[in-house]
Amino acid sequence: MNGSSEYSSATGLRIGIDVGGTNTDAVLMRGKDVLAYSKQATTPDVTSGVSSAIRSVLMQSSQDPAAIGSVMVGTTHFVNAFVQRRDLQEVAIIRVGLPMTSGILPLIDWPEELRDQIGEHIFMVGGGSYYTGQEYTPLDRQAVAKAAQTIAERGLQAVAVSAVFAPIRPDLETAVEQILREELNDIHITLSHQVGGIGLVERENAAIINATLHTLANKVVLALEHAMHALGLDAQLYLTQNDGTLMDTEAARQYPITTCAAGPTNSIRGAAFLTDDQDAIVVDIGGTTTDVGVLSKGFARETSDSFEMGGVRTNFNMPDVVSVGLGGGTVVHRLEAGQVVLGPESVGYKLSEEARVFGGSTLTTSDVAVFRGQLDLGSKALLNDLSVEQSELVARLAHQTVESAVDQLKTSAADIPVILVGGGSVLIDGDLKGASKVVRPEFGTVANAIGAAIAQVGGRVKQLLDYQAEGGRDAAIQKAIQQATENAVAAGAKIETVTVVDIEELPMPYMQTDAMDVRIRVVGDLNL
Amino acid sequence: MRIDNVEIIKDLARGAVLLGTGGGGDPYIGQLLLQQEVREGRSVEVISADSLADDALIVSVAGIGAPTVLVEHLQAKGICQQLLQKMEKQLGQRVDAIIPAEVGGLNSVIPLALGAQVGLPVVDGDGMGRAFPHIEMVTFSVYGNSACPMIIQNELGDTIVIEKASTNRKAEDIARVVAGSLGAMVYSALYPMSGKDAKNKAILGSISYCLEIGRGIRESRAQCTDPFEGLMSLLNRPDLDRYAKILFDGKIVDIQRETRDGWHFATVTMQGLEDSHDEFRLELQNEYLTAQRNGRTVCLVPDLIATLDRETAEPVTAEKLKYGQRLKVIGLSAAAMMRRPECLEVFGPRAFGLTEPFVPLEELSP
Repeated sequence: MNGSSEYSSATGLRIGIDVGGTNTDAVLMRGKDVLAYSKQATTPDVTSGVSSAIRSVLMQSSQDPAAIGSVMVGTTHFVNAFVQRRDLQEVAIIRVGLPMTSGILPLIDWPEELRDQIGEHIFMVGGGSYYTGQEYTPLDRQAVAKAAQTIAERGLQAVAVSAVFAPIRPDLETAVEQILREELNDIHITLSHQVGGIGLVERENAAIINATLHTLANKVVLALEHAMHALGLDAQLYLTQNDGTLMDTEAARQYPITTCAAGPTNSIRGAAFLTDDQDAIVVDIGGTTTDVGVLSKGFARETSDSFEMGGVRTNFNMPDVVSVGLGGGTVVHRLEAGQVVLGPESVGYKLSEEARVFGGSTLTTSDVAVFRGQLDLGSKALLNDLSVEQSELVARLAHQTVESAVDQLKTSAADIPVILVGGGSVLIDGDLKGASKVVRPEFGTVANAIGAAIAQVGGRVKQLLDYQAEGGRDAAIQKAIQQATENAVAAGAKIETVTVVDIEELPMPYMQTDAMDVRIRVVGDLNL
Repeated sequence: MRIDNVEIIKDLARGAVLLGTGGGGDPYIGQLLLQQEVREGRSVEVISADSLADDALIVSVAGIGAPTVLVEHLQAKGICQQLLQKMEKQLGQRVDAIIPAEVGGLNSVIPLALGAQVGLPVVDGDGMGRAFPHIEMVTFSVYGNSACPMIIQNELGDTIVIEKASTNRKAEDIARVVAGSLGAMVYSALYPMSGKDAKNKAILGSISYCLEIGRGIRESRAQCTDPFEGLMSLLNRPDLDRYAKILFDGKIVDIQRETRDGWHFATVTMQGLEDSHDEFRLELQNEYLTAQRNGRTVCLVPDLIATLDRETAEPVTAEKLKYGQRLKVIGLSAAAMMRRPECLEVFGPRAFGLTEPFVPLEELSP
């Protein structure tokens, strides 16, 4: 094993892959150089698309598969499965909270069909903490052991554990895990403090979603490993997370939910890599939608607002992204009096059948781009009914759509660099209002796969800290940074490369202490 | 009116965010409490104040404390029921109905969940027709009712009874201190009053109004037209002495926030989407106090100001406002009673340290 990783470090060869809704993109990189890239159709099983993308970059570069050190995959497959209610498994839910919280039981706000699939295996047990970190009542260990028995009797294979103020007292949840491990063999356990922030209902929901995806995550990770093996690769496999960092397959099996928004994050990180900008707005124009996000100090800006996923309110970290219905396949509607409307529907991957330049009957944004000479695709002669006025109108609308999304994400009125990436980025050919410059980097169409290939390893801490009790602000923050660094190293980071990306402090009104909601994020290079 | 299904609960919560006028606490947890009751087969009847006997005993129940604690502790089943029993014991009389202190925000839904739990009706009315940060800022207080005896309890059963307070403002001050030492989130039974008091002193019809607003937004959105058209025709009813205006349509260009003495202060600056010289400004102290367009006041407390997503008309609390957000801001006239001089003294502009005298929304040009 040692020999193999030294070999791969020496060659530095790695493959980054982004599995999108339409395309699976791959890049082969050595150090900072892109050696080959490929776009393949995404397949329902994920793995065949990934296999053909890997095969393609290996062939283009004539590389020996055995020389590849690592493969990094970004995929939204798990979140899609949840949204489409596919491959979900039953989950036991243990909430440590009594005598508090009993007025609102788990799953209360979940759509009926999801409740049916998850089952209603709810165990409410005593325990929990005040915001100060002090327990209001000790953990009811007996109740947990009893729950374990019932879980065994019902043959359940996944458990979601949540505790009141677990972000401050994660030990309340790890104690439950210990008891369960003593009583149950071979059980998946998701602890809420690992997947969500303050807000018991949303954090518990995130834990349940994660637990219900556990079997699918196992299946997909195994399939990816087999596929790599079949291609002759002896590389380390990683999945990319919402924050643009990597996790190994063990962590991916454990926390599939943290991969759900990796796509936009990878585009933002890839854009940063391809340009010199560390602070910019990144516009990723795909086939159907445009994702606009914020590059801040080289990373994707996050949001911790609660949001709905597949009809369930939750609050884990996501990149702060605005999605609008504009892409290369977006349908152009021509109205009377020369007016036009864009989308929101798109022909998506059927562009080469349905677009006018390919003899189809649907006028798309790509057709207009061909008419205007921005794009060389199909037959321009098929567009003779289009007028210059109309095509200019379409271009102006596309620009306005992007400008408006960019403006929504800016934190100040000052102009900021805008980086255009993605397969549909040719649609924007002029300047953009609000942009200090518009950058169109080489390899921008596969920025997402590049973002996966260059992903680092992260660690984070999210806690309510009482500065007084911790010996002042500086001491409290230092301690939290140290904890985050340890987390990063445990996840595979080289300790000497670990740096702090983000320190966020949110004051807690009404509380009579110096309590602050502190979020710290560090990253480091992968220790290959 | 019976509240017995999830759709009506969500409509209520949506309306409560709008009437929360930027603050009042996100009613989401309250909504879930009520959903739990309905799921377990219970429901609550909202009754007109007219149907109350003059000597009936009516009590308010409210949550007081930090939103951050609420979203973790949620609510222990039965805590409000215990408060009610303690109040009955204190007064030696059975409670006949519950009345919300404020219809805006979280405290609109908590009394409804309690009503469902114990099978008591909830009076269609409240003490302000909106949200305010202090317990003395209610019409009941202005017209002579005492907040006391006021009972405060946390989830572990720790209980404080404020038997008497020299003023209702004093009761507020005591409650704040007590809430801190009881875990930063407590529940309170307060403002015991007679049926006659409720009829004469409450803002009547405010729960049905809240529901109407939430439902109106949902329905106009479903009709795929501009949801503001439907909403404004519902809100602006000069025939009922109710006025509403779209005060501004634009985007946020700056937010300054500050937490001072337990208050959330903020100044939100907006600009027109086309005309960046068209400037709009909102001042907030837990709830919105004033709206100014190009330096001219267009709406003043206690008239209501609400911020809504400009596409979906979903009401947005001030906590969630962000730079770049596109909003329509609407102004709503407060209930006529709220605009009387004696009321303005307690929750008019001066009560919040503003020097401008109150001018009704309909008399200010937008």
